[in-house]
Amino acid sequence: MTQTDSLRPMVHAALFVALICVGAFIAIPIGPVPIVLQNMFVLLAGLILGPAWGTACVAVYLLIGLAGLPVFAGGTSGIGKIFGPTGGYLLGYLPAVLVTGAISRFLGQTPFRDILAMIGGSIMLYGVGVPWLKLAFSLSWGQALALGLVPFLLGDAVKIAGAVVMARKIRPLLKE
Amino acid sequence: MADLTLFSFQAGTTILHHLDVRAKTVLVCMLSMVLFTAGFSACLICFLVVYPLMCAIGMTMYRLIIRLKGFILLLAIMAATRAVTVPGEPILSVSGIEITRQGLAQGSLVGGRFFLVMVIGMLFAATTRPAALKSAAQWFLAPVPFVPEMRVAIMISLCLKFFPLILSRAGQTADAVNARCGSFKKNPVRRIRFLTLPLLKKTIISADHLCLAMDARCYTERRTDPAFESNGRERLFLGAGIGLCIAMVILSQESFWMIFW
Repeated sequence: MTQTDSLRPMVHAALFVALICVGAFIAIPIGPVPIVLQNMFVLLAGLILGPAWGTACVAVYLLIGLAGLPVFAGGTSGIGKIFGPTGGYLLGYLPAVLVTGAISRFLGQTPFRDILAMIGGSIMLYGVGVPWLKLAFSLSWGQALALGLVPFLLGDAVKIAGAVVMARKIRPLLKE
Repeated sequence: MADLTLFSFQAGTTILHHLDVRAKTVLVCMLSMVLFTAGFSACLICFLVVYPLMCAIGMTMYRLIIRLKGFILLLAIMAATRAVTVPGEPILSVSGIEITRQGLAQGSLVGGRFFLVMVIGMLFAATTRPAALKSAAQWFLAPVPFVPEMRVAIMISLCLKFFPLILSRAGQTADAVNARCGSFKKNPVRRIRFLTLPLLKKTIISADHLCLAMDARCYTERRTDPAFESNGRERLFLGAGIGLCIAMVILSQESFWMIFW
């Protein structure tokens, strides 16, 4: 194993940290609500980097945001964002990328299994984010789901479909 | 997109530029925590403290609004949504949709908090060198067990180098897609694919070139320990910051205002 082989996963993980940060600012206008690519890059990190490097990548992203750089959605940052109403979605990135990476590693890398892995990751993301939102705003479960889950489902389906296509094209590049 | 300079360091000689990055990090964390529960008066006090610092680095309100117009629009939409969804005393009714006093107050307060957090983050990014941020992360993580702080520091450093590259490539790719009438495509998956796939391919190739360059220079995680720049006013700034946070917490308490009523 050459030194380049040991450096590559770290550099690729750093690249995905940057993509997740920048993903909040790359918006694709589709209909009235633009699609922001941030959580697509989180799930893609799980698929491409695997559970360990994927989780490390998201942890570094959260650390950069906590340290004060405006990398969270909407250009915000700081520890207060984590304790705010949408903090659950940020913390949910950790189990989401871990589960996506683990399912992808365990089941294998076919488009259908990638979709399953990302659905699993999304369930983890909303599994942390929606209850957090419910607690923060003292909402009922119905209101929390209506505010924090339902509006994003269609966009997430599009992002998962996009991520599957990208994962298929990118994996050979990383194996070269 | 490449014009987006949210993450860019702006060289300068202000007090904030020479303040120890660890003190700045602690201040940003404290302020952002306090801001998320702050009331109107606390937000106003915070703005009055932060605004002269913004002006000192040449970030006037006009430039800030121009630079953040997209986010300000987003905040305005967020505030407007609250104004019509929060129940309370109606002040205006348009085709059955009622704008309530409580909703308007809550919406503008939440928008104001987000705006201030964003401004503080930009102030931090504009006055902190990426290398200093990497050093601060390494210093803060050193006592944490099982965390490879040097590896994390290198990842942060690399990530900060990748920001402008990705933003610039994203802008170029979007222009190329638009030049080929890609913006007229209706299929959202194809639109994501046409923008993101070339972007990812190019950046991964750049990352691989970087790996080779690092390898050629025998780059390892074992780096020289970071040296921190200090202007000797860190304690004063931390004291003032803690004072500001305490004042903001007190001002945000309803019981404080009851004294005057």
